Amino acid sequence: MNKFIKLPLILALLTFLASGLIMFSETTTRDKIIEQKKLLLLASLKQLIPDELHDNDLISDSIEVFQQELLGHRIKQTIYIGKLNNKITVYAIPVTSQKGYSGDIDIMVGVKQNGQITSIKIIDQHETPGLGDLILEQKSNWIHQFPMQSFNITQEKDFKVKRDGGNFDQITGATISPRAVVWAIKQALIYHQQFLSNNEKQK
Amino acid sequence: MSSFIRKRLFDDNAALVQLLGLCPLLAVSNSIINALGLAIATVFTLTLTNALVSIIKPIINKEIRISLFVLIIASVVTALEMFMNAYFHELYLILGIFIPLIVTNCIIIARAEAFASKNTVILSIKDGFFTGLGFALVLIIIGAIREIIGNGSLFNQAHLLFGEIGHYLHWHIFESYQGFLIAILPPGAFFVLALLVAIKNKYTK
Repeated sequence: MNKFIKLPLILALLTFLASGLIMFSETTTRDKIIEQKKLLLLASLKQLIPDELHDNDLISDSIEVFQQELLGHRIKQTIYIGKLNNKITVYAIPVTSQKGYSGDIDIMVGVKQNGQITSIKIIDQHETPGLGDLILEQKSNWIHQFPMQSFNITQEKDFKVKRDGGNFDQITGATISPRAVVWAIKQALIYHQQFLSNNEKQK
Repeated sequence: MSSFIRKRLFDDNAALVQLLGLCPLLAVSNSIINALGLAIATVFTLTLTNALVSIIKPIINKEIRISLFVLIIASVVTALEMFMNAYFHELYLILGIFIPLIVTNCIIIARAEAFASKNTVILSIKDGFFTGLGFALVLIIIGAIREIIGNGSLFNQAHLLFGEIGHYLHWHIFESYQGFLIAILPPGAFFVLALLVAIKNKYTK
């Protein structure tokens, strides 16, 4: 057979088989991947919105937001809402801090209706291992000083790390990462005051 | 040990002697669990692609062989990535870009070209498995050394690979160890690899 017919035929045949393999893998794993993502999301939301504060399906009760200025979003993000007996109890607010040492730090802040923090979760970060990544819960206790805190606009200067004249502990050797996280938490609380708690009053 | 196996695990070790596939080797070896995850994925890919290349040997043509190898390797890795995403989701998130990058691991195309396209299916499977194992062992050893020196622990985050029981595997070797950061940062990988190559050269010359 002519080489100019034979070679493309071989390539076409193998491409066909390879696509078959990928299609097969895609259909067998698709549902499982969606389920895994959902599980991971629910596991991380569990801290932000504790079980005793909600009885609703967190994934369906969510709103999309895009707040470039206030929350530093680069893409559309999702706020998850915890409800107990159909009354809103907790919001889990995503913030992107663009002030990290290397790249963005993605954070979720759980805020109760009275403005108190339930918990903070670092979703994604690329800070220096051993220094900046001490903001992570697995690496140090630093993040544990935030639950129960709330924010009042008159105390703005206190909502900073001690080095900047505020109230919060810092991390020795890392200035920028804690500063970025504290900023993000403050932004989430401000957003909550301006938009979310007002909504509730209007209802 | 037959010389076939010995050659692939030790004498011609892909990582220590041929120095192939260093990108994933250096990048992912910062803890033993990360190393183990990538090691298993690489052995699996290498065995499977060697087998497939060997099966299609009769229709491989000199002019298009490279495209065929790349096609096979890329689709096997894509499928593997999906299965890891589905069944080892958290580990998949950690290994991240290095799973698709297995495609560019030159050990794989080197074995396809140099061995699998010329030998029987059974022999190619053996070749793929043991070459991969040689690479995997070096990856795991570097991972272990870096984790011990850098963190003073072993099997940190083992639950990503072994499920809930993995939490019990986590082993703090030195209590209240301060950590030695450079071992975990990229330069540590070069130091440890160089050390292993030096040790091997000393005892085989």
